[in-house]
This record gives sequence, structure tokens and C-alpha cells, in this order.
Amino acid sequence: MSSGRATRSLFDWLDARYSISPLIQFVREKEVPLGEHSMAWYFLGGATLFFFTIQIVSGVLLLMYYQPGEATSYESIRYITTQVPFGWLVRSAHCWSAHLMIASLVVHMFSTMMLKAYRPPRELTWVTGFVLFSLALGFGFSGYLLPWNELAFFATAVGTDSVKSVPLLGNWLLQVLRGGPDVTINTLYRFFALHVCILPILTVGLISVHLIFIQRQGMAPPRGERKAPRGMKFFPSFVLRDALLWLVCVTALGALALLLPYGPGIPGVEWELGHKADPLAPAFPGIKPEWYFLWIYQLLKEFPPHLFGLEGPQLCLLLVTALMTAWALVPWLDRKARRDEPSPAFSDFGVAAIFFLVFLTLKAWDIGGGGGDAQGAQLPDPRAVAWTCAWILLPLAAAVTLLRVAVFRHRWFVFSAAALLHAVLHGFAGLSYLGAGAIAAVLAGLAIGVAVMRERRAAPTMGGGP
Amino acid sequence: MRGASLAEKAISNRWPRRRILDAMLRLSALGWLASVLYPVIRYLKPLPLQGPTGPVRLSQAEVLKIEHDKFAIVPIGRTRVLVFEDPEGELRALDAKCTHEGCTVRYVPGESLIWCPCHNGRFDLTGRVLAGPPPRPLARHTAIRDDAGSITVSVAIA
Repeated sequence: MSSGRATRSLFDWLDARYSISPLIQFVREKEVPLGEHSMAWYFLGGATLFFFTIQIVSGVLLLMYYQPGEATSYESIRYITTQVPFGWLVRSAHCWSAHLMIASLVVHMFSTMMLKAYRPPRELTWVTGFVLFSLALGFGFSGYLLPWNELAFFATAVGTDSVKSVPLLGNWLLQVLRGGPDVTINTLYRFFALHVCILPILTVGLISVHLIFIQRQGMAPPRGERKAPRGMKFFPSFVLRDALLWLVCVTALGALALLLPYGPGIPGVEWELGHKADPLAPAFPGIKPEWYFLWIYQLLKEFPPHLFGLEGPQLCLLLVTALMTAWALVPWLDRKARRDEPSPAFSDFGVAAIFFLVFLTLKAWDIGGGGGDAQGAQLPDPRAVAWTCAWILLPLAAAVTLLRVAVFRHRWFVFSAAALLHAVLHGFAGLSYLGAGAIAAVLAGLAIGVAVMRERRAAPTMGGGP
Repeated sequence: MRGASLAEKAISNRWPRRRILDAMLRLSALGWLASVLYPVIRYLKPLPLQGPTGPVRLSQAEVLKIEHDKFAIVPIGRTRVLVFEDPEGELRALDAKCTHEGCTVRYVPGESLIWCPCHNGRFDLTGRVLAGPPPRPLARHTAIRDDAGSITVSVAIA
């Protein structure tokens, strides 16, 4: 019997039992909508999923040697990286892949925002994506502690301490998260359970829901068209392109893991093991969380001890929660996109969010502030840091704005202008970060108010004469 | 008889048997959920830590560390205490946990200040906030050195 006939009979055997023909038919007919925008954005979800798969595989390999415990966590990671054949490579791949996964997830989320792919009926795809993003941050945070080194210890102490600001439940949450009032080895046990069991189960479940939504509804067509004018066959055209991207990803990951096994050495993107955690040692200067938490770390520094009757960290957490909630609810807030109309304000909101995050992240790196010494006698000058970061942001923002005007024909810049004004007032005029932010927010509010009034006045005349 | 049957009918219309059964079922489902969740919630919250609450005499190694580094962080019960020697040679003790985000502070002898490197919080030698985001002063404790050079630390009850 030829191999073709054998395959055919196997298929018939399976089809008779599990009715797989409709599935094959579905894949054959499935198309990816093509429009004015670049197709590149469609592949970012797949790239994120690919890096997540690498995380699972490399994580399982690390589990073969890792032993959670006060006397074993740090030692087992050191054993993996120094004794086990290719152990350093597995750990390096796990760390690099984690950073690349978050990076592709961030770009995927912002591209979805810019393309308004959250328009009805895809609101829940956005929400599940947002929850997946939160889970990915949870993976990063919980995995950070597992080597039980100094950096991990203090980053966890700071990160978990923030939850005490949650009204009513704060203290209980803190105790549950840490397994006690302070970060101890009990915290590591809990984080280990989170990292290798609870979060993977939740993530795999939610990825399934996210993918089912995408399969049921298809990928979002370009705005203004319920159905795309033309499409690309999902199989084989799109799948082959996806496979090619995955090949590029694995090659890039391999190269990075080989050439920079402990990261590029930038604070927030490094995983040198360093010293073992000592709960009785003071925190060391220059301590920074991973790059995707740097903006929150910096924001915590910008708040004064007390404001509006609340403590600074409480107010900061409140602001972060409000921003995150607004981000999760964008499909409902963007009413124009719901009507399939252009919503330039929300495109600009996305760009402003990028400026806001970039400025805070640059500041968190203390760029231009001079080095601090081990005793803290020479701390980076915050004025110089703000000045330098504003100078870096300005040309970057100018380039982005030029691109938006020239290529995408954007004409709405209130939010991004406010984000830039914030940086300028803080960096060049020397205003406090929050003071500059308040002025920029008030001016943006006024500009939006004027725009809305003008739009309302223009609406009846646009509706036609008597 | 006729009036009674009308009243019964009115009650049965307002509270038909299915509605009552549905309400009971929902109530029992809630009860079942609570009976599952309560032990889990109690299980997750750790037991309070036990430890000495009275004065604690520091070990020889801790005393030597204070002499050498001018400060040491010592566990007294469930509190981490920063014990240090100020420029006048006086022994002081403050809570080692920064009131901002819980990092462990350090004594900077050259600057005569307590510093939290995590978010650049600065305190004076009595624990008062000098600069940075910490919202509250560091709690003060007591450290006493006896004639033999031994150091005893007592934690202030909050």
C-alpha cells in the first residue's frame, strides 16, 4: 500500500470516529484580512505564543535541577549555571525568552490599540489579552524571586509591599502573598507554586479562550469594512509566514542566549546571580526591578510622602489602577470605534501612553544624573536626570509625530502633546513631576473640552440645511 | 372556603413552589461555596510568628559588626532592627524597614543619615524623614551597651 493511500485510510478512520472533516474545511476556508495597514502586526500574537512555549519547555528543564528552599534555591541555580552541561544555556534561554515574550506582548497590545482591533464584536478578545498581559507580568514577578539572590529579595520586598495600599484587604493580601509579614523563604515557596503551577494553568486556559475568540470571529478587518476586501489564505500562506517568523525568533533567541548569557547588563535586563539573599543585609544602591516594572518603580519615587490626605504609595497605586482599568475598558470607552468611525483621540492616547512610559523608564535608569556610590554619598542628580530624559524624549517624539502626520495622516495630538508638555515642564522648567503632570492634564482637558464643543456646534450644520 | 382558596392561590402565585425551590437551591449553592472557600482563605493566611518580644542581647558577631561597620541589622522577634553608633559614639536603634515600600535601610556614617537605596528615602539619626517619598518616620527602639561591652536591644511596642 502506498504511503498516500495509508494516510488517506488513517484520515478516513479518524474522520469516521471524530468527524474532523469540518475542521479541515474550516482551516481551508479561513482567511486573514488584508488592508491598508502592514500585515506584520498580525504575527505578534503568534510570536508571543512561541516565546511562551519556549518558557514552558525551558522552565520544565530548569525544574529538573531547581530545588526551592533556603539552603538550596540559590545553590541549585548556581549548580545549574556552573555544573550542569548547558545549564547556563537553558537558564539564559529561559530569561531571554521571558523578556522577549513581554516585549512582543507589549508591541502586540499597542498594535491592537492603534489598529482599533478591539472594535465590536472583539471587546472580549482585548480583555482576555489584557488579563494575559497581567498574568505575564505575574510570571515575571514571581520568577524573579526564585534564584533567591539579593536583587530578587529586595525587588520582591518592594513589589509585594505595594499591595498593602489596597483598601480593606491590603494587610491580608500582603500576608497571603508573602506567607508572613516579611519576605522570607515562605514567600519563595508561594511564588514557586504561583510560577510553576497556578499561573501556567491560568495562562494556558486563558490563551485557549483568547484563541477560540479569534478563531470564531476571525482577525479584525481594517476599520470601515466589516469584511476585508481581500484576504490571505490562513493555510498554507499565513501559517508558513508564521513558521518562518518562529524560525527567526528561535535563531535570535539562540544567538542572544549564547552571546549574552546573563543579559545585556542594563539594569532591569540582567540576570547575573550575584550574592545570595540575606534578609539582614541592607538594600544596595542602584537596585532596579525588571524593565517592564521600571515605570511603576519611578512613579513611586515621584510621589511625595503625603498628598490629598493619602500616603504617596497609596495614591500612586490608585493612579496605576485607574490607568490600567481605563486601558482594559478601551473597547467601551472608544465610542467612535464602536460605531466603526475614525477615533483619532484613542490613537493619540496610545501614543501618549508610550511617551509616558518611555519618559518614566528613562528616568528610572538615572540617565544623565551621574553615578551613585556604594554609600549613597553621591546620588544621581534628579534635575539632571529629568533634563537629559526630556532631551532624549523630544527628538523621539518629534520623529514619531512626523511619521504619524506624513504616513498615517494623523491630525489629533492633544494627549501626546500633553505627555510631551509634561516632560518639558518637568525636565526643562524644573517643575515637580506631579506638578508638571497636573498642568499638562488640565490643559489637555481644556483642549478636549473646546474640541468637543466645536464638534457639537458643527454637528447640526453638517447634518444639512433646513 | 372560597376566600381561603383565593388567599392560598394568591400566595402560591407570589411564591410558586418552583421559585421557593430555586431560592433554596441558590442559597445552598452559596453555602456550599462558602464552606469550600472559607478553609482555603484561612489556610492561605499564615499563622502569626512567634519570637522574643523582650530585650535581646546581641551576639558577639553582631557586636563586632557594629564596631567594624558602625551598624548591623538584627532580628528581634518579627522586627528587623538597625543598630548603629552615631558620630558621638552613642548607640541608637531604629526599625530597619523603610516606611515607603519596605526595603531594608542602611546607616551612612559619613553623611550621618539613614538611607533607603530602593527609592532614595532619607532619614535623620532619630528616624525622621529628611527627603524622598517615605510617608512616616522609622520607629525608634532602644539599644543599651553595658560596661562589659554587650549590647541589649528592646523593640518598642507599636
